[in-house]
Amino acid sequence: MSLLTMSAQLAEGFLITVEIFVLTLLFSLPLGLIVAFGRMSGCKVIRIISKIYISIMRGTPLMLQIIVVYFAPFYVFRMHVGTGYRFPAVIVAFVINYAAYFAEIYRAGIESIPVGQYEAAQVLGYSKAQTFVKIILPQVVKRVLPPVTNETITLVKDTSMAFTISIAEMFTVAKQIGAAQTSVVPLLAAGVFYYIFNLVVASFMEYLEKKTSYYR
Amino acid sequence: MKRVLVALLAISMAAGVLTGCGSKGSDKTFTVGFDAEFPPYGYRDDNGEYVGFDLDLAAEVCKRQGWELVKQPIDWDAKDMELSSGAIDCIWNGFTMNGREDAYTWTEPYVDNSQVFVVAAASGVQNKEELAGKVVAVQKDSSALAALNDEENTDNIALRDSFAQLIEYADYNTAFMDLEQGAVDAVAIDIGVAQYQIAQREAGKFVMLQGEDNKLAVEQYAVGFLKGNDELRDTVQKTLDEMAADGTFTQIAEKWGLTDSVCLGK
Repeated sequence: MSLLTMSAQLAEGFLITVEIFVLTLLFSLPLGLIVAFGRMSGCKVIRIISKIYISIMRGTPLMLQIIVVYFAPFYVFRMHVGTGYRFPAVIVAFVINYAAYFAEIYRAGIESIPVGQYEAAQVLGYSKAQTFVKIILPQVVKRVLPPVTNETITLVKDTSMAFTISIAEMFTVAKQIGAAQTSVVPLLAAGVFYYIFNLVVASFMEYLEKKTSYYR
Repeated sequence: MKRVLVALLAISMAAGVLTGCGSKGSDKTFTVGFDAEFPPYGYRDDNGEYVGFDLDLAAEVCKRQGWELVKQPIDWDAKDMELSSGAIDCIWNGFTMNGREDAYTWTEPYVDNSQVFVVAAASGVQNKEELAGKVVAVQKDSSALAALNDEENTDNIALRDSFAQLIEYADYNTAFMDLEQGAVDAVAIDIGVAQYQIAQREAGKFVMLQGEDNKLAVEQYAVGFLKGNDELRDTVQKTLDEMAADGTFTQIAEKWGLTDSVCLGK
């Protein structure tokens, strides 16, 4: 099989990989912020619920979470779900998993802002919401860009777990081609795809970091 | 803004769940779950299409019944969950029935299969007894592994215990890569897949241990349905019998070079 045909087929699988990547980031970044607030909340009940959520999502394998999210409707609720549920299930599993990681990253960023910022904002007459949105959040974004970049790159490679419930994303396609051609070249080609994509992501994040380093 | 985001998230997730409902798929569609890394029974061809002996049989059955064939590659570990939850209607890809007779509702066997050992030709190994003290590879959850672990077969147990190591692989391609580089000394595998792998790789490099005595197990392939799903099984069985009677079955077997292995209608 020519390298061109192989790349064309891998590219098809790659579209699915990118889809999972974009949708997961789209939903887990905001969800992570919500969970972070819960984790830092004054109300004890909310704090405990958030801590348990983060603990379970980080403490169990993503593969297991994908299986649970996909098969739970049948085994727990006896609902028959068809193949149409595979992709949403994968997105749900990825989103709730990554939101837990992002929550802790945000919490580190928010807690690292000196108390002086809050005091100064109070003196200047900002409300709590205004303080957060206009003073704290921009600084938090600057601080969490490196760890968020880490998680994002990890996400690109974790998408290969989607095969547990039979989503044919790129790494799976590479393995299938490899089995049919009895060769290892498709896996190497897949590695190249991943690397190039990660390079793009890392470059973009670096660009963002430069844009936000206005005090240096 | 946050509320809008949360609402959007909730709606899209709910919509996603609902799109799945109502498509149990046994009336108009026939979903075949298969391992897409198992040539020549089910694999990906040069054009990116899923093809194989089993898929051709399934397509013929669907043509005769007026069903739409859905080819669903699955993770072999999740096959039981996929079948129980209704995500697939059957498991059809070189699926060994021996040892699993009670776990599924089966059709009549259509292929006589054996589990054999493949070694590097350079190793000079001719009999399975010579594999004592060697490293052997096997696919996880496969019938080769089940045969080696079969408590009732003392010969196999003794053979397995004589190995230096028995390593389980996720797929045969990786196992053969290790065989090629010498990390393992033998691969325990289905004869059909062994022939395909040997034919595809460098000629003369690998060899199957010959002779009935060197076979690990002799067994049969059949189509597996969810335990209790007699109705669907009977319909498929009837169609397969018709195909055997009018020669279509043999034609398809010839196309894939499996005429020696098939046993339906014999």
